[in-house]
Amino acid sequence: MAITGNLETFNFIDIFQILKRDKKDGILVVESPDKKFAVYFKNGDMLYIREVAKVFYIYLDLDFKHVLKKEGIDKDDLHQFLIARLPILLAVKKGTFSFTPGFIKYPPDIEPSIPIEKIMMYLSRQLTQEEVDRKISDMKLVFEKSDNWEEIARRAHLNSVEKKVLSLIDGNRTVEDILNETNMNRLNLQRILYGFLATGLIRRKKQKKRKIGFALTKNLLNKIMAKIKGL
Amino acid sequence: MTAKKQKQIKIVIAGPYAAGKTQFINTVSEIQTVQTEAKTTRTGEKEKKDHTTVAMDFGRITIDDEHVLYLFGTPGQERFEFMWDILGKGMVGLVVLVDSTDPSTFHEARKIINYFESRYPAPFVVACNKQDLKGAWDPKDIRTALDLDEDIKVLPLVALDKESVKNVLLVLLEEIAKHL
Repeated sequence: MAITGNLETFNFIDIFQILKRDKKDGILVVESPDKKFAVYFKNGDMLYIREVAKVFYIYLDLDFKHVLKKEGIDKDDLHQFLIARLPILLAVKKGTFSFTPGFIKYPPDIEPSIPIEKIMMYLSRQLTQEEVDRKISDMKLVFEKSDNWEEIARRAHLNSVEKKVLSLIDGNRTVEDILNETNMNRLNLQRILYGFLATGLIRRKKQKKRKIGFALTKNLLNKIMAKIKGL
Repeated sequence: MTAKKQKQIKIVIAGPYAAGKTQFINTVSEIQTVQTEAKTTRTGEKEKKDHTTVAMDFGRITIDDEHVLYLFGTPGQERFEFMWDILGKGMVGLVVLVDSTDPSTFHEARKIINYFESRYPAPFVVACNKQDLKGAWDPKDIRTALDLDEDIKVLPLVALDKESVKNVLLVLLEEIAKHL
């Protein structure tokens, strides 16, 4: 099924969040008004960025070894090329994206060199107010650390302010509480929390007890279910 | 002899603009959905549909002589957010609809979830509408895009199809049952 959209409403962090969560292999195609990129992903991490003249060229190569051969680069130089091309890709703010899962075969000895969580945190530091309001839309939100937060934090290369905010996330404090305790700028806090959520470092606090605004009995609920089944 | 007053059970159907809330209710309601609509005026909204829900619309399913289930649809545009408070009070459950073909609306859906989870944490499910259309996102990817955990049910939906709507309501009722 499709993972397609517009970069103006669905930014790179949002896209990387989806690719990372399911450790997807495949090719992300980014088309801006003047450039076209193929971004190769292995296990949800970025491996290589290739600029192409036409999108269909991307789909001529089923094996990543052929891509390297066509591009004239050695696998040991992948990191260097990725570092050089990453800022060009991430500067694209207008255009469309589409992800094709699978498709490309990667040799087992080629591994991504930059954790995607590090790139996501880098991007989160530059988000606009409009963007952060999409995820951190409510000052009453309460977050808790995810089960594997230590591993994600290691991969995300957090700075000292981010580490401080992470230490305050305990499943009890609201966003407002953290804002008051740290005295930080609200936008900066929202940026950090956005990055944390996208990387999977934190999650919305799970509700242990949910409120049902009516004195429902099991008997009545069964009646409702039977009625709906019979519609 | 006066008619016995029926007790009202409320399920809220929320979601971004044009996610299919009114259609969802219409598909299973036993009455013609009572709609409170206005002409769409904003750029970007006008292109999608002519009219939009401004207060709420609702459908009804009679359970027995004493009980009636109401499905209340919230207005999909952010400027009618005040209605969420009115509708959130007293609800037994919430269905959040998203348009699976339009990822730009996922942010609005997340905002709705954040709002209700912070204030009225009733059992809820997410229904990914328009799964029959080309370009529809997989519910699994929509779950990630909405920052939802595995314990929240994210379901495929075609709001025009009665069985599909019934399935969403039944899953929500199963979720409600876990908290009785």
